[in-house]
Amino acid sequence: MTTNPYQVLGVSQNASNDEIKKAYRDLLKKYHPDSYVNNPLAGLAEEKFKEIQEAYDRIMKERESGYSGVGGSEFDSDEMKMVYNYINSGNNVEALKLLERIPLRSARWYYYSAIANAGAGNNVRAFDHARQAVNMEPTNTEYTNLLNQLEGQERRYQNNRYGGGYGNNGAGGFGAAGNGRGLGTGNLCCDLWCADSCCECMGGDLIPCL
Amino acid sequence: MFGYVNINKPELKVKEFYQYKAYYCGLCRTLRKNYGPIGQLTLSYDMTFLIILLTSLYECSTERKKSRCVVHPVRKQMILQNEITKYVADMNIALTYHHLRDDWQDEKSLAGLTGSGVLRSEYKKICKKYPRQCLGISEALDKLTECETNSETEIDYVSRCFGELMSELFIYRQDVWEDKLRKIGFYLGKFIYLLDAYDDICKDMKKGCYNPLIPMFSKESFDENCRDMLIRMMADCTGEFEKLPCLYDVTILRNILYEGVWTKFNKIQEDRKKEGK
Repeated sequence: MTTNPYQVLGVSQNASNDEIKKAYRDLLKKYHPDSYVNNPLAGLAEEKFKEIQEAYDRIMKERESGYSGVGGSEFDSDEMKMVYNYINSGNNVEALKLLERIPLRSARWYYYSAIANAGAGNNVRAFDHARQAVNMEPTNTEYTNLLNQLEGQERRYQNNRYGGGYGNNGAGGFGAAGNGRGLGTGNLCCDLWCADSCCECMGGDLIPCL
Repeated sequence: MFGYVNINKPELKVKEFYQYKAYYCGLCRTLRKNYGPIGQLTLSYDMTFLIILLTSLYECSTERKKSRCVVHPVRKQMILQNEITKYVADMNIALTYHHLRDDWQDEKSLAGLTGSGVLRSEYKKICKKYPRQCLGISEALDKLTECETNSETEIDYVSRCFGELMSELFIYRQDVWEDKLRKIGFYLGKFIYLLDAYDDICKDMKKGCYNPLIPMFSKESFDENCRDMLIRMMADCTGEFEKLPCLYDVTILRNILYEGVWTKFNKIQEDRKKEGK
């Protein structure tokens, strides 16, 4: 697809994610195959339907703060080249198996391992290994970029949290603990009943008394 | 299940809280209607999240009605029910069945035996209807048992069992959203497993039971390390969630994913501080 995905959805490049989702939903409804049964335009609508889906997927992918691609190196050993090929073809499991068999744990090894682990869903290990690669070769921009990308996802998460009221930093200003106790009694129905029956503004205070 | 996937009530608007509660009551009523009082006992917050997520994604037509029930005898309650509620109720029963069966095998507990006995015939029906999900649950729990037997401490390896279990439940239909729902369920499942391990660590240490966090426990930075891991899980979970075109009830969903899931963690930390852990 060479057309601009934003044009397909009729939104600007700067549209927020939620605006894109809204446009996507509206268009899908408009071109839904169910509305074109026994209609000569059915074929056209179906094509449009697919185009909208593709455009949406593409935008979401482009906006993802994921890995911007893996760089191979001409200095890689034959084994490491194979690892690189596995990773590039999305076969993270094989890449990990092969990495396990390589005894030399260079910075590059940790770099590849981080990528393959991230792809396989081993996000704790991916992070450790990305950090290890950077520690071993702090000047390598490929490694620092990878670490930045992984950290970027965490930053996005932390920034999106409104109150910031959890954690050990004493920032929890809105009584997270009291709330926790109320919702955590295990007596779910009581909690809800209480919250429901009491005045909303008092609800938070009453729950811990149960 | 565990009740870790919760709302953060103070941050929700009253309207949104009632909407959440209506989904929760809807699940409660469906469980009671389809599986009787025992079914109703399996009610959990975690599964309410799944209903809201799938309802928002598939924009299913949802029935809204007011009704009275035993728990709320005074005032009529708003309840929301749809095809997803039925699906999630079935999944809840399947999970509870396995959970109780394992309980019985582990500790020869009477509760486990009687509970799973009562649910067995229901579980068989659910298996016929949703073979992929039920196979997913039993395979994942077998793997988890294996990890426990081998005292496995590789965090990603252990927690992925529960992640895979949740993945299968989150995939309601195998369609264009399968991949994203799989990842959301996977990382949320890992989060739940790790939070559960964090919750149990003191008890497990005392009893000498298996817990994958034990090797980390002696470190000064234990709490910090656990928190970082949990943030990792939610960061990756929400990264996928934000790619789904969820518009309805999205504030509730975000409230749960960005704030509510920390309710339990905060409480554990508070309690430990008080006890001078």
